[in-house]
Amino acid sequence: MIGRTIGRAFRDAFGHLGRAKTRHAVSFTVLVLSFLMAGLFLSLSNNLRARARTLSRDMAVIVYLKGAATPEERNAVEQRARLSPLVASIRSIGPEDAADRFIKEFPDLKDVLENLGGNPLPASIEATLNDATAPEAPVVRLIDEIRAMPGVEDIQFNRRWADRIRALGRLSDAVGLFIGGLLILISIAVVSGAIRLNILGRREEIDILHLVGATNGYIRSPFLLEGLILGAAGGATAAGLVSLAAHLFPLYLGQSLGALQDLIGFEPLTLVQFAGLVAGGGIAGLLGSLAALGRVFRS
Amino acid sequence: MIEFRLVWKQYQKPAWALSDVSFTIDAGEMCFITGPSGSGKSTLLRLITRECAPTDGQILVGGTDIRRIPASKIFLLRRAMGVVFQDFRLLPERRVFDNVAVPLRVLGLPAKDIKRKVFIALRMVGLHHRIWNTPAELSYGEQQRVAIARAVVNNPRLLLADEPTGNLDPDLASEIMALFREINRQGTTVVICTHDRDIIRKFAGRVLPLREGRLRERGTE
Repeated sequence: MIGRTIGRAFRDAFGHLGRAKTRHAVSFTVLVLSFLMAGLFLSLSNNLRARARTLSRDMAVIVYLKGAATPEERNAVEQRARLSPLVASIRSIGPEDAADRFIKEFPDLKDVLENLGGNPLPASIEATLNDATAPEAPVVRLIDEIRAMPGVEDIQFNRRWADRIRALGRLSDAVGLFIGGLLILISIAVVSGAIRLNILGRREEIDILHLVGATNGYIRSPFLLEGLILGAAGGATAAGLVSLAAHLFPLYLGQSLGALQDLIGFEPLTLVQFAGLVAGGGIAGLLGSLAALGRVFRS
Repeated sequence: MIEFRLVWKQYQKPAWALSDVSFTIDAGEMCFITGPSGSGKSTLLRLITRECAPTDGQILVGGTDIRRIPASKIFLLRRAMGVVFQDFRLLPERRVFDNVAVPLRVLGLPAKDIKRKVFIALRMVGLHHRIWNTPAELSYGEQQRVAIARAVVNNPRLLLADEPTGNLDPDLASEIMALFREINRQGTTVVICTHDRDIIRKFAGRVLPLREGRLRERGTE
C-alpha cells in the first residue's frame, strides 16, 4: 500500500509538472541560474585550491642576487642555505637560465624580452624546502638572515603566493555562497509562487479529496514532490552546465586570458559537489513547496 | 446515526446560521432537510462533514461526538460518508472512471479492486457504458449520476446530498431521487437537503424543515 501511495504521489507530481508548463519553465530556469552561479564559483575555488596545492608541492625560497654580486657572495648565500635543516636542495640559476625559463613559460612575451636590449632577469638561488607544510617562523628567520647578506637583492617565498591563492579561493567561496545563496532564496520564492498557483488551480480537486477522506499527507505529497523534482532537476542541470564549462573554458576562452588562465579557470566539480548541487536544488524546491503549502492551507 | 443536540452555529455576529437545532436521524433512514435558500441547510451538512464546527452544542455521528475528533483524524469520519452536491463537483479533465475512483485511490486500494468497485457503482447508476468519457461529454443528469456513483463507490454508511436536483429538470430530478431511494433500500442512511417540495411529496421520507436557522417542527412523514 505504501508503494502504491508513493507511486500515486509521483504520478500526480509529474502530472502537475506537465500541466502548467510555462510556470514550471520559469521556476526551472531561475533554479538553474541560481545553482549555476553557485556552481561556477565553486568550480573557480576548486581551480584556485588546485593551483595553491601545486605551488605548495614545490615550495621554494628564491633568492635574487644583485647584478654586481661576486662569486664569493653567491657561494656564501648558497652555503648558508645548504647548512639549514629546512632546505632539501639548492639550485643556482644564472641570468641566461632565467631568461630561457621565462621564454618557455611565457612564449607570448618573448619579443618583449628581446626588445629590452639586454637580459633584465637577475641570477637567483632556489632553495627547495623539506616540508611544504612546516611552520613558517623558522623559514622566515632564515629568509631574514639571508636577506641581510651582501649581494642579495630580494627574496621571494612562494608559500605566501600559495596562501594568497588559497585566500582567493576562500573569497571565491564566500562570494559564491553570498550570490548563490541570494539567488537560491529568490528561486525558492519563485518555486513557491509557481506551486502556490498550481495549488490554487487545483483547489476544487483538493476540496473533493478532503471530502472523500484524503489525509493531508495524501493531498500535499504530490506538491512537495513537484518542488523536489523541479529543484533537483534544476540543480542537476546547473551541475551539468558547470562541468561543461570546466571542460570547454580552457578550449575556447582560456587562451585569451594568457598568464591569468591559471588563476581564472574552472576545475570540474567533485562527485560530492555535484551531488551537493543536485541535493541543494531538491531542498530549495522542497522549501518552495512547503512555503506554498503553508500559505495556501493556512489561508 | 446522526444526532444534533442544541446546536448553534454563527459565522459572523450578530446573525445565527443555526439556532438551537436538535434532531436525530436513525441508521437506514431517508430524511429530507427542507427550507428556502439561506435557511441553514448547507450549514447543517457542513457541520456533519466537519467542514466547520458548531459554535455551541453537540453533534454525534455514529455515536461519536465529531467535535472531539482531532483535525488530523477527520479524514476517518469522511471516509464513512459520501457527499453529493448540486454542482456535481466532478474533475472536468478526468474521465468518469477516474472521478468515481477518487475515494478508492485515497484508501490506497489495489488497481484491480478499484476497477471492480468503480464498475459496480457505475452500473448501479446506469453509466457503466460511459466509463471512459469526460464529464463535459455527459448531460447534467449523467454528471449527477457520476457524482452519486463517486459518493457510494466506497459503500458509505451515510450519504449526504446538498440540493442534488437543483440543476436538473423534473424528469431527471425524479430519476436521481429514485436512485437515492434505491441506495437507501440497500441500507445506507440518506440525508437530502432540498427546497423542491414536489420531490419531497413524491418520495416519501422524514422531513426536517428549517427556517432562518431553526427547526420548525420535528419528524414529519
